[in-house]
Amino acid sequence: MDAGRIAPQRERRARLFLLALLAALALVLLAAYLARPEGVLVRAAMPEQGGWLPAELKARVGEPLRLRLISEDVTHGFAVGRHDAPAVDVNPGEYREITLLFDQPGKYVYYCTRWCGLNHWRMRGTIEVVSAGQPGSDGQAAPAEPPLYLQLGIDIDAPHPAAVVPEGRPRAELTAGRISGLPEHYRSREYYLSHSPSQAWQALRQEPAAQALSDEQLWSLVAGLWQAQTRVERLEFARQQYNQNCAACHGAQGAGDGVAARQMADGAGSGPVMGMQGHGLQKPSSFADPGAMLGASPALLAGKIVRGGMGTGMPYWGPIFDDDQVMALVEYLYTFQFDYSLEVKDE
Amino acid sequence: MTKTSLHAVLPWLVLALLAALVLLLPLPVAAAAPRARRFRIEASQFAYSPAVLRVNPGDQVTIELAPQDVVHGLSIDSYPVDLQADPGQVASLTFTADRPGVFKLRCSVTCGNMHPFMTGKLQVGPPTLLWRSLGLALVALAAALLPRFK
Ligand code: HEC
Ligand SMILES: [Cu+2]
Ligand SMILES: [Cu+2]
Repeated sequence: MDAGRIAPQRERRARLFLLALLAALALVLLAAYLARPEGVLVRAAMPEQGGWLPAELKARVGEPLRLRLISEDVTHGFAVGRHDAPAVDVNPGEYREITLLFDQPGKYVYYCTRWCGLNHWRMRGTIEVVSAGQPGSDGQAAPAEPPLYLQLGIDIDAPHPAAVVPEGRPRAELTAGRISGLPEHYRSREYYLSHSPSQAWQALRQEPAAQALSDEQLWSLVAGLWQAQTRVERLEFARQQYNQNCAACHGAQGAGDGVAARQMADGAGSGPVMGMQGHGLQKPSSFADPGAMLGASPALLAGKIVRGGMGTGMPYWGPIFDDDQVMALVEYLYTFQFDYSLEVKDE
Repeated sequence: MTKTSLHAVLPWLVLALLAALVLLLPLPVAAAAPRARRFRIEASQFAYSPAVLRVNPGDQVTIELAPQDVVHGLSIDSYPVDLQADPGQVASLTFTADRPGVFKLRCSVTCGNMHPFMTGKLQVGPPTLLWRSLGLALVALAAALLPRFK
């Protein structure tokens, strides 16, 4: 018995040691807690596997929203529409942290920016941003006026063949000096937005001022009018966005022959690969076909881009591009028809 | 006595010399003048086409990566090449093939379940390693047969 007894000193030391150990453990836990990764975990997966998880996020105006992004399968990308945070890649096996700040309430859409599969363009989620003070108030500005195509009564889903088409590709440069003889309204933004090039051509054919022009010269004149409405400084932005978001379907040269188009169904549309909702899928439009493109007004094209095809396979871009960006895209689409000489702007 | 031993050793010496020659001798291949080469590589799950690029040392090599289905990448071992592109886009880059040898092409974007097997190769210069090993094999064969002719 005696031999088994521990001296009181040693016992105290042992207790102290144990206490110190416990304190150290608590400290470590506290440190781990403080250094824990902050932010909402958002997982990315191919749309067939569920897309974004969660697909609905909430945030407050002026309060940073921290996200930790990770992919479950392939490389995806993350960007928020109508927001200027740069897109980031989301890779499997590595957390990507980003912080978003919103200064306007509203419903934002985030979307995948890497072409991860055939249904890539369906990979979207929403962020509901409420104003800091009153939760629930969605603070959205007064109802926006209806889009131009609705005001003009254009059916953006109907075929719009051009009544007249040029022999070759109209060049804008021939016309630089001639535009001045025309009634002013042809040169207005309103005219441009609401008329297709072939409508403009037909109207101009009736103009006394244009009587002396050949058909080809008249097309050059139309190209000149269209060029005058094209903001050259926005074309580069539009080209990049087009290549990134549209070329896979519509083709880099606008011919409707993008790599994804090959896999999309013809007309009737029972594309096997678009399994998620394969009805009514169509071939992507060709912007290089004058018969269709010259029959389309900017209002029609912008309307289609914003609203999408509603089941045709054409995504809707309204929550992603603002009006100005959509118009830049529309202006860019006409470059598949017209040769602009971009130095010679309308005098 | 010395004579016979020399007689026995001589063939081995010759063979050893031959092996050394096979390993070290510069190959009698006319070095082609460097030129510019352009490859358009179409990438789709999970292969490159073409998957083998043959160039000569010193060539200016331009690679255009054109994905055909999903986003792909292309990097080359030991060369500062790393391209990425979404389908519909073409990413390109030019480099000088200044290291001879065979290098692996790899997809640098996780593009699907077979992604790790999405590879190809860049061969700079003739496949000297192959020829040298063939030569060595011949020498080894001779060495193996030598005792029979004694
Ligand atoms: C996933 C494939 C796909 C992508 C990506 C896509 N589109 Fe489309 N788009 C289509 C299809 C299919 C149609 C034809 C059916 C329709 O009009 O709804 C179409 C039609 C259109 C039309 C109507 C053309 C006309 O003459 O009526 C416009 C304009 C358009 N797309 C613009 C764009 C722009 C701009 C982008 C990129 C920001 C884009 N599209 C991205 C598939 C796509
Ligand atoms: Cu994706
Ligand atoms: Cu790949």
